[in-house]
Amino acid sequence: MTGVHDLGGSPGGPVDKGQHEVEDWERLADAVTIALDIKGIKTTDEHRRAIESLENYRALGYYERWVAATEKLLVEKGILTREEVDERSAEIENRWGGA
Amino acid sequence: MTAFETGDRVRVRSADKPGHVRTPEYLKGKTGRVESVLGEFRNPEDLAYGLSGLPERPLYKVGFRQADLWSDYEGPADDYLYADVYEQWLEHDEGGIT
Repeated sequence: MTGVHDLGGSPGGPVDKGQHEVEDWERLADAVTIALDIKGIKTTDEHRRAIESLENYRALGYYERWVAATEKLLVEKGILTREEVDERSAEIENRWGGA
Repeated sequence: MTAFETGDRVRVRSADKPGHVRTPEYLKGKTGRVESVLGEFRNPEDLAYGLSGLPERPLYKVGFRQADLWSDYEGPADDYLYADVYEQWLEHDEGGIT
């Protein structure tokens, strides 16, 4: 059973060569993930495993996968609970007026 | 002491290992040549599950002829693909295909 990420050699269609402006949340997603590595809380390999096991892998963009996988690992390790993450997300969404 | 040396003909194991695997599907069962021994590193397939990844495993740079990987490859015959493959994924190529 090949992982969802193991696509080498499969027909992939045309490659989008367009440039993409890096957004602030993407920089933050990168920074938090690397900081957790440096703190010894997780490894790159755990993060890759978590990304590969995302049920909605194909629906997510690159850094969306990073964020979802980081959340998954923090919950797995008992550092955060799913409820805490959802609560905080709702709080932020509320502050931004759902925009 | 590593199991393989530069110049050895090797075959990538066809194992259907579940979970996090660092060896891509398209290399499984394919033969190539050890280009260099890259060193010994903690096993990423164990690190992925929060384990120590010890003992460290030898990692090799292996060269594969593109035409051996893709049945419809139309590029030059001496095009190669190089991949880093851990020792536990390799076996000696008894066929001796060069």
